Amino acid sequence: MAFLEAKKVSKFFGALAAVSEIDFTLEKGEILGMIGPNGSGKTTLFNVIVGVYPPDRGKILFSGKDISGKKPHKICHLGITKTSQIVQPFTSMTVLENVMIGGMFGKGLTLSKAKEKAKEFIDFVGLFKYLDEPSGKITVASRRRLELARALATEPEIILLDENMAGLTPWEIDEVLELLRKVNKDMGITLFVVEHVMRAVMGISERIIVLNYGEKIAEGSPEEVAKDPAVIEAYLGEKYA
Amino acid sequence: MEKKIFSKRNITLFFLILAIILILPLFVHGYLLRMLALIFMWIGLTACWNIIAGYTGYIDFGSVGYFGIGSYVTAILMTKAKMAFLPSLVFSGIISASFAIPIGIPTLRLRGAYFGIATLAFAEAMKQVVLELDRVAHINFFGGSHGITLPIGPGNEFFYYVMFTLMFMVMAVTLWIERSRFGYSLKAIHEAENTAELVGVNTLFAKTTAYTISAFFLGMFGATEAYWVTYITPNDVFNIHVTIQMVIMTLLGGMGTVMGPIVGGSFLTIISEILWARFIYTYMILLGIIILIVIIFMPKGIVGTIRGLVIKKKVT
Repeated sequence: MAFLEAKKVSKFFGALAAVSEIDFTLEKGEILGMIGPNGSGKTTLFNVIVGVYPPDRGKILFSGKDISGKKPHKICHLGITKTSQIVQPFTSMTVLENVMIGGMFGKGLTLSKAKEKAKEFIDFVGLFKYLDEPSGKITVASRRRLELARALATEPEIILLDENMAGLTPWEIDEVLELLRKVNKDMGITLFVVEHVMRAVMGISERIIVLNYGEKIAEGSPEEVAKDPAVIEAYLGEKYA
Repeated sequence: MEKKIFSKRNITLFFLILAIILILPLFVHGYLLRMLALIFMWIGLTACWNIIAGYTGYIDFGSVGYFGIGSYVTAILMTKAKMAFLPSLVFSGIISASFAIPIGIPTLRLRGAYFGIATLAFAEAMKQVVLELDRVAHINFFGGSHGITLPIGPGNEFFYYVMFTLMFMVMAVTLWIERSRFGYSLKAIHEAENTAELVGVNTLFAKTTAYTISAFFLGMFGATEAYWVTYITPNDVFNIHVTIQMVIMTLLGGMGTVMGPIVGGSFLTIISEILWARFIYTYMILLGIIILIVIIFMPKGIVGTIRGLVIKKKVT
């Protein structure tokens, strides 16, 4: 039995199938990558998994239990959380308070316990020097780390990372990759990564699925996917396939 | 940064002010005492509005609906069931709150202006029900546009203490919210509701709870006001101006702060009383100008602006 499994999941916006009959499995402890051109349905699929939208058709199973249609906070309590493509810190709160929210509500800790735990996660992502800084005042690169720390504070089993490296310099990307490997190996958290930076997603994922126009067009190891004619066509056009 | 509000100095100051307020009716009578009770009421009402709008960012235009429900519950219980005032007061709070749950659950799913419009519609609908139900259903319950006359109440001293107690309770709840886990969930909803939901905040539950707490106290203030003025009509107790007054006072004082309602409520009540007494014909114009000046030059409210200045001073 797969850890997280989607069975023929579809989501429509009007007549448009943003996500169409997608199947995938995610095994415990792995890092699964997802790529695809803009508008191929990656973010929508993530939103369906965490419950922002209920799927119109199909099912999502987590440890064998059907979680489709549950609300995001319920799914977070079950152990799946997501970081957003557009960073949304609670801007008037400090970095510490932002991460405390994750502990208090994702894990159900008391205020003082959440504070203690939050400091550990902030230290882990390397933001300890900004502890009491308002989160609206730190750089975008730091805010992306803050998103990760807040997600970690909910003590999840699976984190969905929606373009967590967008807008970072190559050097910053290397640092984040190192961090993600630690999250995966040392904390044992399963990762599902959407990324446009090919070097990053190819380097970190053991397996990759490729979406185009809401459908899954390929699946396999990074090398296999890179050679797949359907993938090359989706990215570069028919001529290069 | 730890805010030390329970320092020795603050606690001494608190008990000093409390003692002064409690013994004041021994020295102050009549108009001035009535004025103070009125200030307490407005601070309390503003604080109720601040709980839902200031902390969660849901701009409620229907708050007067719960004030009116509270007024009518007490009026009906005291005249028809011959109940004493204090139990009626508690019932008013409970019934207002029990209206807030079914009203809050659907409306709090709406965002921004849509929530404001829906709550405005709720308050106006309540007014129409109370106004027309008797005529439509051929009964004699709400008294239609004639309203209800309550038994004559005790003197101003009594209302001074009741208003103060209610205000004190709302302020205590606000202070608790400011520093509690629950308060963090409300602030998170205000900042980024979708993110709050993703990291485990049950947003609908938190919003509805805040809305219900607010309605509970609004109902009790409505009840006390009804007994105080002894005569209520739908147009008085469901008047949209009551809501607007709460909005203006919160904006003047500072949204989502503990001190905001105290400063905004007392500032506007006192200013409008002074202006009204001196400039009978032009006082509304003058009041409008003062509100405009404060909002233009202090967009974060009086409390927010002062706080900003203090922080600036510390930095330099």
